Amino acid sequence: MIFIIDDDKMMAECIKKACQKDDVKIFSNAILAMEEISDGKIPDLIFLDILLDGPDGFTFINELMSYSDTANMPIVIVSSLDYSKADLSSYGVVGILNKDMMTPMEIKKYVDKYAI
Amino acid sequence: MESEVDGILVAAHELKAPLALIRQLAFSFDGLNQENENIRTEMIAVSERAIKQVNDLSKVRRLEDGLFEMEPVSIRAVCDEVSHELGQLFSYNEKTLYKKYSNHSKLVTANHDLLYSVIYNFLLNALHYSDKETQAKLLIKDNKGYVKVVVRDYGPTLPVDIWRELKRGWVEKPVSIAMRPGSSGLGLYIASKFSKYMNAKVGAVRHRDGTSFIVELPISKQASLFV
Repeated sequence: MIFIIDDDKMMAECIKKACQKDDVKIFSNAILAMEEISDGKIPDLIFLDILLDGPDGFTFINELMSYSDTANMPIVIVSSLDYSKADLSSYGVVGILNKDMMTPMEIKKYVDKYAI
Repeated sequence: MESEVDGILVAAHELKAPLALIRQLAFSFDGLNQENENIRTEMIAVSERAIKQVNDLSKVRRLEDGLFEMEPVSIRAVCDEVSHELGQLFSYNEKTLYKKYSNHSKLVTANHDLLYSVIYNFLLNALHYSDKETQAKLLIKDNKGYVKVVVRDYGPTLPVDIWRELKRGWVEKPVSIAMRPGSSGLGLYIASKFSKYMNAKVGAVRHRDGTSFIVELPISKQASLFV
């Protein structure tokens, strides 16, 4: 299962299409995604926008890290902000995609690696 | 002036999201025939150029913060990167780009991203305003402690007032160039601002059949020893 957390619905749909998987869920904010995880639905991979309505992406990551069963969840940050030089691996971030320049192939690469 | 520039920054930020979305939507089309595939390719390319221009506008505002580090940069590598990126666009528009690198000093003191944008804007300008039968030229030469990059186009020549501003060293604000239809002068304004930040000399030479845009960058003396 893959989660996409992005308040831009159309952008989220584009990412979903690039995943080429059936089991993909889109959330418009971090609270909705956290509720789903709390219900025991643990995704294999999360595509996470940073600037969200409500709690931002980093707040969401910190929340995940505070629980043992979600602390090491693979997360790919998808943002227009430039995190290209940031090392966020200690937060479980396995990749950073720049919304301005990412391609469907780059998205699929993470799906193939973490959500087979 | 400050609030005016910040307005540009806000506008630039607001424009980025829809441009990025248009680009992703173009990627999402399936099963296109060749004609529509060409349209998709053009949509992606146009979006990417617009995003780049929006990003450059944001950088113009951030120049004041001095966040762009100056470092030894391979001028030939940057010119190759830009010409490679725009190569497809030149081909698509049935135009050619002639390159000649005769510089001996390989490294200049610059910021890679800003320098990339300067040359990108000059070449994009040359693409728009060169006739199909002619070729734009990208030249690199040595010039007394500087490396000179020249982008020559064969289109309408530059108006005298803009040429004077460039001769002074920078363009104060984007000004529509009357003899070059469709031009807002934005690319020249961005290139001028970035050049000034890098202590590079920017200029232009008017020809009867076009214009040469020039940026001269100081040679990086320390690191040149190791190349």
